[in-house]
Amino acid sequence: MKFSAGSAWRRILFRHEMLLLVVLIVEWLLFLHFGTMTNRRGVTVGFGTLDRQFDILRHSCEIGLLALALTPIILTAGIDLSVASLLGLCAIVFGQLTHDVGLPLSLAIPLTLLAGGLGGAVNAGLIAGLRLPPLIVTLGTYSLFRGLAEAMTGGAVTYTQFPSGFLALGQGRWLGVPAQAWIFVGVAVGMWMLVHRSVAGRFIRVIGFAPEGAQYAGVRVGKCLTFVYVLAGLVSAAAALVYTARLGQAKADAAVGYELYAITAVVLGGTSIFGGKGSVTGTLLGVAVIAVLKNGLATLPVVIRMNSAEELSGLLTGGLLLFALVIGMLPKLLSAVCIRR
Amino acid sequence: MKDWRYRRELAVAALLGCILLGLAIWAPAFYQAQPLLSLATREAPSLIVTCGMVIVILTRQIDISVGSMFSVCGVVCGLLAASGWPVWSLLPAGVVIGGAMGAVNGVFIAGLGLPSIVVTLAMLVALRQGLNLFRQGEFVTLPDGVQWFGMSQVHGQIVVLCATGVLVALLAYGLQRISLGRHFYAVGSDAEASRLAGLKPRRVTFLAFVFLGALTGIAAMVNVVQSPQVQPLSGYGMELKVIAAVVVGGVAISGGRGYLWGAAVGLLLLACISPALVYLHMEAYWEKAFQGAIILVAVLAEGLRARSARRHRTDFS
Repeated sequence: MKFSAGSAWRRILFRHEMLLLVVLIVEWLLFLHFGTMTNRRGVTVGFGTLDRQFDILRHSCEIGLLALALTPIILTAGIDLSVASLLGLCAIVFGQLTHDVGLPLSLAIPLTLLAGGLGGAVNAGLIAGLRLPPLIVTLGTYSLFRGLAEAMTGGAVTYTQFPSGFLALGQGRWLGVPAQAWIFVGVAVGMWMLVHRSVAGRFIRVIGFAPEGAQYAGVRVGKCLTFVYVLAGLVSAAAALVYTARLGQAKADAAVGYELYAITAVVLGGTSIFGGKGSVTGTLLGVAVIAVLKNGLATLPVVIRMNSAEELSGLLTGGLLLFALVIGMLPKLLSAVCIRR
Repeated sequence: MKDWRYRRELAVAALLGCILLGLAIWAPAFYQAQPLLSLATREAPSLIVTCGMVIVILTRQIDISVGSMFSVCGVVCGLLAASGWPVWSLLPAGVVIGGAMGAVNGVFIAGLGLPSIVVTLAMLVALRQGLNLFRQGEFVTLPDGVQWFGMSQVHGQIVVLCATGVLVALLAYGLQRISLGRHFYAVGSDAEASRLAGLKPRRVTFLAFVFLGALTGIAAMVNVVQSPQVQPLSGYGMELKVIAAVVVGGVAISGGRGYLWGAAVGLLLLACISPALVYLHMEAYWEKAFQGAIILVAVLAEGLRARSARRHRTDFS
């Protein structure tokens, strides 16, 4: 090996994930120092308590799942704007299956996942089969899925009163940890294996770098793309179940706007929107940075007084995204300046 | 088959014609002057933003922050009006504010070479939440004399429509006949080739975003004069509606191809769905689903055409 130990260290230190980790730790320490909050029982809870951390985990699960689903898609230089709409549609499908059709959970849950897979297959057919631009196709299905959810409920019906066994998935704990965290961890590990430890993951990156080249190198581009989009549909359906269980209700406007936060998390995590570059670890860190920011701001006394945690965190998330982009561009810009001199 | 120049645009116009014809047969109530005028006026702001979006998409970029920019321009214009600025001064104010926000996008995208979809995504989130932060969702109540420029409603609507029509016609003419308009096409077709031909692609891209921002400012102004209050959420979801109109109207998302009037027809088509559903006694909740289906059909038609074109080319080679 020609690399010296120093350069190996440098490669680890100057990775995008390292930057995110630093941001995360700084955020966490700041909120630990300045944040307080009164909980439901009137007791003041600091940011550092385990309950607080679990709360963050609980609230960021759905966005985290969507971001994980988006990571391989963005690695292929694609995009999926329809994930949150599909989440809404699956929530309604689940509500109708359990309430109007009266199916037991053991049937309704697989059927909901199937619906998600079918939704993903619609995207896949148009994008992988006909090679249409993903941005436009998923813009269409973004409208279509949400529209179907609204049409199925007449825009008014809300499904509530799910069995308590199902609600435990979103509100209860399993082995001391919020139940949905297990799903999240499972999906995250699966995605990590797929992207970083499998042949398919290699192919996904190759497609992102050069779709034509991948074709000539013998990669079955159509098959790979189909797989990635159908997988996103399945994960969206899983997120729909978690969302419904957490809130205890299924409505047509479930998770409106979540796609923006999910894409933000992925890009903040260092995945290039042009494909080929990125990692699942980065996405997880991106989700964590956004989630800690959002929840942490809500514990600051100043913010509580102004009642503006949501807005402030959105503003800061946007700024952070731009900052991460500019930081990512810095080496390129600097070298361009140096060459010109 | 003979390849018409405006095939795609004419197909969309024909579909719009079919819907209008169907309404004339089954729901003649649709053709009453007042509701029709109101519908057209309501869609005027989206039409203006669509024109700007056509320019940006022609240069092979995209801007998903228009909805937030629209809201910000509207609220700031409303606040200025409330603090005593005369009505005529709101238009330049809107242009300046919108243009400035477009310029910020332009600096990041054209200057630093960052991907437009991510930059404008950040802008979308930051501007929307920033507006919420400073206004907490409050409405701005406008002073007398701002709504419909102090005229009666019908006169105001006619003025708004005429102004919008003139603006759109000028832009459509400019894109085809003025050299800057052709530059947008050139940069969108092939940025490197246009640079070798002596254009400055970065400057052209920057200008495209400034244009879109300024047009969004004008659109916000056209929206402000329509009601006695300014809603802070007026631009919510506008970006998707406008991009959908552009795509349905046959402007290629890969840049350099399409016509402004096609996008305008696309917007009219999407705008007609909701009233058409109401007048045909269907549930209005189907609107979004229909809009999505129309986008998918449009992109499908485009894909099939491109595919057959590819096949022909290989036949000849």
